[in-house]
Amino acid sequence: MISSKVRNSSQKRPMEDRVTALNNSEKRSDQWSQLLISVGENRDRRAFAQLFEHFGPLLKGFAYASRNEGWFPGLGDDLVQEVMIKVWNKAGGYNAEKASATTWIYTVARNCRIDMLRRKSNTQHLPLENEDFWHEPDEETPVSLLQQKRSEERVQDSLAQLPKEQDQILRKVYLEGKSHAEASAELGLPLGTVKSRVRLALQKMQLIVSKEAQE
Amino acid sequence: MTNTTNHHPDENMLIEFSAGTLDTAASICVSAHLHFCSSCKAKLLQLDQVGSHIMSQAEPVDVAEDVFDQVMEKIDSGIDNASADQATNDDMPFSVNKLIGTSLMNKNWKRLSSSVDIARFKTGQNQFEVALHKICAGGKTPKHDHDGLEYTVVLKGSFSDENAVYREGDFLLRQPGDVHQPMGAQNGECICLSALSAPIVPTSPLGFLMKPWLRINPM
Repeated sequence: MISSKVRNSSQKRPMEDRVTALNNSEKRSDQWSQLLISVGENRDRRAFAQLFEHFGPLLKGFAYASRNEGWFPGLGDDLVQEVMIKVWNKAGGYNAEKASATTWIYTVARNCRIDMLRRKSNTQHLPLENEDFWHEPDEETPVSLLQQKRSEERVQDSLAQLPKEQDQILRKVYLEGKSHAEASAELGLPLGTVKSRVRLALQKMQLIVSKEAQE
Repeated sequence: MTNTTNHHPDENMLIEFSAGTLDTAASICVSAHLHFCSSCKAKLLQLDQVGSHIMSQAEPVDVAEDVFDQVMEKIDSGIDNASADQATNDDMPFSVNKLIGTSLMNKNWKRLSSSVDIARFKTGQNQFEVALHKICAGGKTPKHDHDGLEYTVVLKGSFSDENAVYREGDFLLRQPGDVHQPMGAQNGECICLSALSAPIVPTSPLGFLMKPWLRINPM
């Protein structure tokens, strides 16, 4: 403590830089939530265009990451289109206190991707869409927007810090959309190993999130 | 929402549910459980948060130039503009409500035995028979083993077996080797959602009396 007080101004710079960087990244991560709110409340087309510009290519990449049964080359642009239309239509129901825009949009994207693959690979009538499984009333979880936002930044950092095999398994499960059984076959690992590795990796990340939430 | 549920899907099932890789029949059962269970829902929220960041790690790919215009055109024409809010009946999980509204095989219960009725759903998959079972108050079901997986979620009332009492929202997974004999509670009928991948295996010598139980109709 004392030594920091006697530091000269040039030694203080890195700390100030870090603070500035943190503020910037908070602004950045929050920007999408603000835009999404504006789309919901004001039917703001400019905000929507900004969301499209940012999330469009990411969503197309997300579609390309899953070469599962039913995949077709046009899936990328189709998914972008379907997800963004849903974003426009459902933005009014977005609650920034419960999730960041990223979490919210990927919840929509995950359901869309599953349904599009299922429709393509299935000739039977499917009475339920994946979205139907997510209609249960929300908890009144007392998570402030700030906490959400900060923990999401930590999530991103912690992903990068995971051991390679844990990072790999989480990508298989969430990004490629592989079931535990499929991941086990592809990686040549026993199912039990896949299960425990996924759990461990997610526990590690959740620990970081909840630790952050208590701070 | 009450949270009196004591039996939950295991963590890996919640993970697969959150990643969207769980099969349809199991997803129906997990979503039914979530209707009653706030602790699993809170866990799921965390998984979604982490999962969404993994999903956003995909390599960006350029979107075709006309996609944005197409999206705006559809938005302007009002296509797909249906409200997301659909009528809900809070007593039942959304997915079960929807199945009851659209996908019952028969309009009425079918008798399986003197104490158990069944109503089967058509869910567009061919691994599991997804159905509602109604056990009358105090009703006994045959003691049985399992040849495959059996998911059960209590939707109304309660039942018990040799191990425990299961109440609204409780989620059970039975596997080969799990022998049990469910009994309806004395104080009222019990309705369960179930998904069964193989017919149950009666363990009583009079098992041949259980003919209606011995086949399933996955659909």
